[in-house]
Amino acid sequence: MLSALAHVEAMETLEVVHQTEFRHRRLSGRPLVIIPLTMAGEAGAPLAAMVGTAKRDMTLLVVPQPRNRDQRFTFAAELGQIVMRYIDSYRQDRRGDGERSHYSDAPQILVPNHGGIKALADLGRMCRFRSASGPYAVPDVVPEFGMWLTFLVDTSEQAGTSMLMPVTAMLSEHWATGQSTLEDQNLASLMAWIAPPDGLSVEQALADAENPDICPPAGPATSPEFDNRHLAPAIQRFDAAHTLGDPHDLATAQAELRDLVAEQVKPTWRMMWTAISLLRSVPEAPRTAKRFERDCVSFTSYSDYRDAGGFPQRKRDTAIGAAQRLSRLERALADFEADMAFDDPFVLADRRSAGEAFAGTVEESVPGRMVTTAKNRRVPRPYVTLRTDDPVRLAAGTKLISPSMPAGHKAVIASVHPDGDTTLVTVEVTGGMGRSRTPNPGTVPEPGQRLAYLPDPGWRPTPVFPASDHTPWTHSPGPDEPDTDSAVPEDAAAEEWGHED
Amino acid sequence: MKAPVDDRLAALRGSAKRRPYNARSLAALENNPRCTLRALLDASGSDKAAIAEHAGYPSPFGQSAFAFARGNAFEAMVKDNGCAELLRVLRETLKLTLPEVAYLDLNDVGGDGSNETRRDRTAEVLLQAAQGTGDGTLFDHPMLYLEVGGQEAFLEPDLVAFRIDGRFYIVEIKSFPIIDGQADPAQVRSATTQACAYVIALRALLEEAGIGPEAVSDTVVLVAPKDFTNRPTAAFVDARKQVSALTRQLARLERISDLVDLLPEGLTFDLDIDKDDKRPRRPAEELAEALEQVPATYRPDCLNHCEMAYYCRARARAEASLDVLGPAVREQLGGIDTVTMALGLARGQLTPTADQSDMAAALRHAARLRAELTGEVGGAA
Ligand code: SF4
Repeated sequence: MLSALAHVEAMETLEVVHQTEFRHRRLSGRPLVIIPLTMAGEAGAPLAAMVGTAKRDMTLLVVPQPRNRDQRFTFAAELGQIVMRYIDSYRQDRRGDGERSHYSDAPQILVPNHGGIKALADLGRMCRFRSASGPYAVPDVVPEFGMWLTFLVDTSEQAGTSMLMPVTAMLSEHWATGQSTLEDQNLASLMAWIAPPDGLSVEQALADAENPDICPPAGPATSPEFDNRHLAPAIQRFDAAHTLGDPHDLATAQAELRDLVAEQVKPTWRMMWTAISLLRSVPEAPRTAKRFERDCVSFTSYSDYRDAGGFPQRKRDTAIGAAQRLSRLERALADFEADMAFDDPFVLADRRSAGEAFAGTVEESVPGRMVTTAKNRRVPRPYVTLRTDDPVRLAAGTKLISPSMPAGHKAVIASVHPDGDTTLVTVEVTGGMGRSRTPNPGTVPEPGQRLAYLPDPGWRPTPVFPASDHTPWTHSPGPDEPDTDSAVPEDAAAEEWGHED
Repeated sequence: MKAPVDDRLAALRGSAKRRPYNARSLAALENNPRCTLRALLDASGSDKAAIAEHAGYPSPFGQSAFAFARGNAFEAMVKDNGCAELLRVLRETLKLTLPEVAYLDLNDVGGDGSNETRRDRTAEVLLQAAQGTGDGTLFDHPMLYLEVGGQEAFLEPDLVAFRIDGRFYIVEIKSFPIIDGQADPAQVRSATTQACAYVIALRALLEEAGIGPEAVSDTVVLVAPKDFTNRPTAAFVDARKQVSALTRQLARLERISDLVDLLPEGLTFDLDIDKDDKRPRRPAEELAEALEQVPATYRPDCLNHCEMAYYCRARARAEASLDVLGPAVREQLGGIDTVTMALGLARGQLTPTADQSDMAAALRHAARLRAELTGEVGGAA
């Protein structure tokens, strides 16, 4: 409700409205920005990519004839080298001992939008099964790059991870605009709200953002007008020069194509870096560091797996793998949402306004209440009653955590009673009181104290990473579990990508 | 007395040539079924793109020549040699037994490519096949016909296959890829909705000869490139739900006269195109006034589907309508239509109606929480 209201306010004032206090995503000190462009109509046909770790340090790679298979792999190898050099720079400094040691930092790739992630997913799928020897051999880096891309794309589906992110998602998590989610996925439209170019009103900037002559699309698709007016003729000239074999003409045609593509991608490149520095100005949420550590662990684990020569990820999950994955994603999302509410008063307020959390003042406290456990032990189980204005929609039995109490505080709802315009919620404190029979001082809320509660997403061990994707060659399928889709398809190396010409 | 509905629709379109319905415009019905503006523009056969442009909001759609070329090349390849590739896919991928295959090209009939001739020929051939008197297994580009809200619509499926278990199947050939058995859901959906129009039209044709709807399967065969290759693969797509949804939308169009009756007398979207320089002579303001008379139900998804989207968005913005923000916000603020109303209630400056009282309380509460956080005063009374 609060964030809906923020969007409504933004619409009224034509200005963005903060909907979080913090940035909940870790932002690397040295992110690798990639802007992938693809060719319309073709499946996963790369047209170009601009890539680099600083605004002034970028490389533009262009596929002059995106339908050509060899040119695609040349592109994949070149981009692969840059990305692998970047990733490898994080595979140096290891912390901790033995089994549990992990790299102290992890890579972060930023793309403009979700489409950018899809383009990298396609590229990863295309590259990871290639073979560096035999017929149809490709450079060594291609399959390696493909596997890493696939790994990164997989992690990006998990809430709270930071190794591959669309910048639009990071921006719109913090800033509420007066436009729809769909329009927020257009980097230029989003930036028009957050930081319109000098001298332009938000309205003017928005109009420009949808005008492909002023703001070419951030990819992966290029604008149809650009395709028809400029790109198609330029590719034709390249093809003609290629056929005639005149090196001078070929160089000219290639340079012309590069310039054309550069013009299309540069505005987005600049905007990406503006967006990154804006994001840097938002303070990072406290729990981001802990989540980042999990990223480092998963990065290390995949890195070790690659070092050991592990197989490429399978084409499709097995049924069990898919189920495990789904539950992993769900848990990650619940954790991330709780983390955000715990850290950020704006997010907490949003959940309070939806009745998914509440805050109030303690009216009554029974700190001396004891119960006998199943193991016949007497333990403190204080009752605390709060009065809240919030529209509580949580039922008795809900387990709670509190950002207002010392770490480890746990409670469970005993009862919820509406009382006029307010609600009385009685909770039983169940944890965080120390080991003795009387609760440690300050661990039980006292009358007059203000505090907030939200549902506990539940404790569980950190997920152990090498899961379904990594097991196919050790795992022999049982009788009713046919392994129809082996990790490496037999025809992988020969699989077409593009046209043979 | 008001003119009959057809005359009124013709008047809405004015001097422009009628743009008939096609599978695409029928499929688009599903995207925003409640929109009166769109229903009227389509039913009257008006040129939405030209109208939007003249009103000052050129439509955001263009097609890349690359996509176009690829689509054509793929379809041609699939159908080459009497559909050799297609048959391979139907047999191998879908495990269909298609014993003897006869291929009939209905693209043009003895050099006569007119819609009517093709429609009649299609009807003849398909009816024979259904009654077991003709031969033919694959029918290339048949021409189907459907009456939509009293207007004729000619529909041209890529292909109709017959005698997969004695039924007709609509085959849609698309050039988006199926990668590792999965295709982009949005693209599959729009391909399926188009195919639904064909299913409905083919059933209508057979019904005239007393053949029941079960003769046409509501499972559609989607043929598309496999992974990153040029080779086709195929998948069955269950279109049952979409067929009944589209049937419902079509039935609503039958009642288009109800919508027309609500329009002011003399309303027209005519652009009054100059015969010589092909430019609209009608003043843009006048067109805008005419458009404004017709209710539209804008939502952000229109940006993906409708030529009028920029126009309707601007209108929604001008009205401060919450439609601009999209369904997620709309649902949260159920019953509240505008920014003014939402903020007025949130700030306690408006008195809620009985229906709004719960929502108003929630809004005031949310505004109070926000005010506490941003340190603003006066968030709530
Ligand atoms: S863009 Fe306008 S006319 Fe088109 S469907 Fe949406 S609201 Fe209706």
